[in-house]
Amino acid sequence: MEQLVKNRIKAIKKGDQNAYAEIVEIYKNKVYQLCYRMLGNRHEAEDVAQEAFIRAYINIHTYNPDMKFSSWLYRIATNLSIDRIRKKKPDFYLDAEVSGTDGLTMYSQLASTEASPEDTLESLELQEIVQKAILKLPEKYRSVIVLKYIEELSLQEISEILDLPVGTVKTRLHRGREALRKQLGHL
Amino acid sequence: MMKCPSNIIELMHNYLDEEISPQDELILRDHLHECAKCSQHFNDLKKTVAFIQHSSHLVPSDDFTAKVMARLPKEKKTIRLGR
Repeated sequence: MEQLVKNRIKAIKKGDQNAYAEIVEIYKNKVYQLCYRMLGNRHEAEDVAQEAFIRAYINIHTYNPDMKFSSWLYRIATNLSIDRIRKKKPDFYLDAEVSGTDGLTMYSQLASTEASPEDTLESLELQEIVQKAILKLPEKYRSVIVLKYIEELSLQEISEILDLPVGTVKTRLHRGREALRKQLGHL
Repeated sequence: MMKCPSNIIELMHNYLDEEISPQDELILRDHLHECAKCSQHFNDLKKTVAFIQHSSHLVPSDDFTAKVMARLPKEKKTIRLGR
């Protein structure tokens, strides 16, 4: 997998734009998921995830092959998500009820599973509670939590992506988990 | 009432990060066995982690890749003809 990615990147650097479509296919779900969990809104996640791939393409010559390509890509996506969070107007920020419309989309996706409607609704409600709790975290904790538990990355990889010492990643993870426990632990 | 070790919460998190020494793990286990309050705290943390890990994974739109490709800077496409 890493070898395939390395080969594709070589081709892209030589100007083969089509090779980039394969890279996008490989990573689109992960990058989208990362943006969605950071932003809590499907439309914005789609927009920022696309932007991340475009930035990566434009800056491909600055990519250092000693780093995992995925780490570099996640770094771009995380930074763009944080930029987007900071640009949001405070009233829009508080209006996290946009996830109400997201819920409808999510519901239509979940509807195909075999769980009963009651179960689906229950888990849907829980999904929204979890996402809202993540969105309440300050972004420095949010990014660490998302990378660890949504993207399932190691502390070492997270440290590489965020360009932070592993010790700092751990501290943020601990604090993020404590903050989430206060919101979700009683459920 | 026994006294909780001052670093017990830190040990819980080290455990969750799978970065706990065998000695510390023993301290943690012994204490959780005796202390209902810390045991509750630890269970809540584990439950919280499970909630987040099991949150459903959404997928981007079907034409995501096509949209990205359409938005890439155009000029480089000419190079492709030279292959």
